[in-house]
Order: sequence, then C-alpha cells, then structure tokens
Amino acid sequence: MIFDIKFFLLLAISSAVYWQIPRQNIRNLFLSVISLGFIYYLDKYALIVVIFLTVYTYAFGFLIETKDKRGLYHKFGIIGLILALIIFKYLGLLSNTFNGIIEFFGQLPVIKIEKILLPLGLSYIIFKYISYLTDIYWRIVKKGTFAEFLLYGSLFTIFFAGPIERFEKFKPQIETEGLKFKSEYLKYSFDRIVYGLFKKFVIADWIAYLINPILKSTNENSIEIKILALFGYSIQIYMDFSGYSDIAIGSSKLFGITIMENFNYPYLKQNISQFWRSWHISLSDWIRDYIFMPLSRYSNNKVWFYFFVPLISMGICGIWHGASFGFLVWGLWHGLGISIFQIYSYMEKRNKRLKNISKVILIKPVSILITFVFVTAGWIFFIYLNQ
Amino acid sequence: MEEKLIEFIKNEYLEDPDIIITEDTKLISSGLIDSFSLVSLQTFIEREFGKMIPPPKITAESFDTVKQMVEIINQF
Repeated sequence: MIFDIKFFLLLAISSAVYWQIPRQNIRNLFLSVISLGFIYYLDKYALIVVIFLTVYTYAFGFLIETKDKRGLYHKFGIIGLILALIIFKYLGLLSNTFNGIIEFFGQLPVIKIEKILLPLGLSYIIFKYISYLTDIYWRIVKKGTFAEFLLYGSLFTIFFAGPIERFEKFKPQIETEGLKFKSEYLKYSFDRIVYGLFKKFVIADWIAYLINPILKSTNENSIEIKILALFGYSIQIYMDFSGYSDIAIGSSKLFGITIMENFNYPYLKQNISQFWRSWHISLSDWIRDYIFMPLSRYSNNKVWFYFFVPLISMGICGIWHGASFGFLVWGLWHGLGISIFQIYSYMEKRNKRLKNISKVILIKPVSILITFVFVTAGWIFFIYLNQ
Repeated sequence: MEEKLIEFIKNEYLEDPDIIITEDTKLISSGLIDSFSLVSLQTFIEREFGKMIPPPKITAESFDTVKQMVEIINQF
C-alpha cells in the first residue's frame, strides 16, 4: 500500500517546507531529494534503477537535442529503455515460455533464468522516459535542466501508480520563478484526496470484500451470481484505480503541480474507442501517440490498419500491466473490440441502410450497455488468467 | 492551406457534401471526424505541406478546427 499514513505524513511535511523555499529551482531539488528518499524507503533497488535510467535518458535527450544524428540517438535511447523493461519485467515470463516449448519437444537443455526483482514504478518511469526522448526527437519539448527532469521522473506523488504525465505539460509548471502557495491548492488537494480515499477504501474495498469469495470459489455459486460478481469487479477496479489517480492528482496539487486527468466516466461511453479515451487516459494517450499512430503510418493496407494495428497496440497495452498471458489476452480482447468497432464505423459510413439500422437499434443506452458488457467480459482474463 | 485542408476533410470524411466547414468548425469534438481518421489527415498534411505533425499534437483539444490545424502546422 503506497498511499498509507507515511505517505500522507511525508506529503504534509514536504509540502509545508516546499513553499518556504524561496527559489523554484531549489524547491525542485528539494522535492526530488524527498521523492528519491521515499522511493529508497519503499524499494532500495528501485532507487538505483531510477537514478541509472534518469542519467541514461537525460544523456540521450541531450544527444538528440544537440547532435546531428538525432534519429540514431533516439533509436538507441529507446532500445535501451525497452531492454531495461524486458530484463526487469518480462525475462521471467519469456524464459518460462521458452522452457515450456523446450520441454514440449523434450531432450533439449532447459535454460534457467532467475526471476529478477521488478523495481517499483518501473513500467511507469520507462513509459515516461520513452515519451520524453520521443518528444525531444519530435521537437515538441526541450530537454530541460537535469534537476527538472529528475523531478519529472521521481515525483513521489505519481511515481508508483501514475498518471503517466508528459514532460511537455510538467516542465512549464516547475520552471516559473516566484510561484506562491494558494489556499485553493489546499482545498482542491483535500477534496480530491478524500474523494479518492473514499472510492478506494469505502467503495472498492467493500465491493472486493463481497465479490472476492465468489470470484475465487470454483463451483459453489450459480453462474448468475458469478456474473453479478463480475459486474461488481468492473465497479471495484474502476473505483480502486480512479481512486488512486484522484489521490495522486490531489497530492501533486499541494506542490502547485497539475497532473493530467486519468479517468472520465469510462463506463458511460458509447463505444470501445470512447471507453479507451476515458479509461487510464494517460496510458491510452501514450499508446495512441507512441504506438498506434506511428504503426498506422507503416502501411496503407486496410487489414493492417483496421486489424493488426489495434491488436498490436492493445496487446502491448495489456502486457504493460504485468508479465502474464492474462494481461496479454485482456489487451488483445480490447484490440479486437477496437478493430471490430473501426470496421463497423468504416462500413457504416459507406452504407446508408446500416447507418439507419444503427440509428434505430444502437440508441445511447444500448450502446453504453454493450460497451460496458464488453469491458466487463474482458475482466475475466484479468481475474482468471493471472492467478 | 486552409482551403486545401477544408477540401480534403470534406472529400475524405464527410458523407454530406452540403455541410459547410469553416476554419472554426469543430471537427473532432463534434464527431464529424473520428480519431482514426486523424492518421490519414496526418499523412495528407505531410504529403501536401511537407510537415510531420507529431501525434501528441493531434488531439481533440489542439487539432479540433482547421484554424488550430494551421497554427500547429506552422509550428513545425
């Protein structure tokens, strides 16, 4: 549990000290030190990885911004970050899969790879750093000072569970001198944190208390009860994760930093595409900007665009959540949903009869219900294939 | 630049040729263009004006009207 009493104590003390510091660059340094100290406290191993990745990424950011072969430096920088993610997060899964195949064919020697401990917050920091390097490469943002970048990478309020903020939005907020504390920050933070805690500890945890025994039991409950529990899980996971985001956003505001919203009533959307623009927005935007759109440009082939691109993009989105086939299948499920939706929209545009039928059948409540049922069905892979 | 963009959008994305598009018409947030169409719009801009607009700049907030599109294109 990251958002515990120690977190809130640190938040209260560090924000009080933060606003006493007159210079913004010293504030940034102070907040970085506090953040790194908190990361060290929770996971010593993660601190080493964060410092190494930060120096590595900033060095490549410098090379991309200042040298001629910027494309080459961008590629090398990204490859290094992806390798770090594979080594720490996926090597165990890859070796198990590989050994499974070897065992299937028999006789061949099994390769033993000890599972490396996954440092806290690694998936988030790697995605943030990939966006940082790519945005410098695309000339959207300047590399900033090392202190600014260090704070971007380590800020303890968003380090462990996002949102995956962009440096482009983050940097202007921490480089302006003379920012003063406003009482609105305190009110906004308090409201947002209380709201998040309520969603997480009152709603989500109580739903979990009710449904976990049903979802984990093998056959004592009827299928109707299990389906009901699955819908409960839909609500629970939303309340849990969006509650975390509320706390992260509210906590950051205590330092005057506005972090992007991560949820926008996702279960009230009329199709799977709209759902993904409202669920874990910082991740879905990331997938769209750095995977979906660049992949789409590779070919004009319609099968590639309508089928493979959503499947690959959402497969990556799934596996980002954890090194297990359950997450991968969950991602592919959503990729398939987006693919079907894209093809349907394409056909609907070109077929007036289909459009008229859609207008009659797919009225708003029906569309919302279909989307919600589709998303809820997807959680089955989350729950059962990851056990 | 504005005329070329409007012409492409009308021909490529709109079913009804009589819909009037101005440089301030909201295209993405109003649902006239869906987000998937933005890839072909990005390709058109690159081919026509020689500018590669990075995906983070092609959002419903920053790329919603032809006027906004022109502003972003001129930034790159």
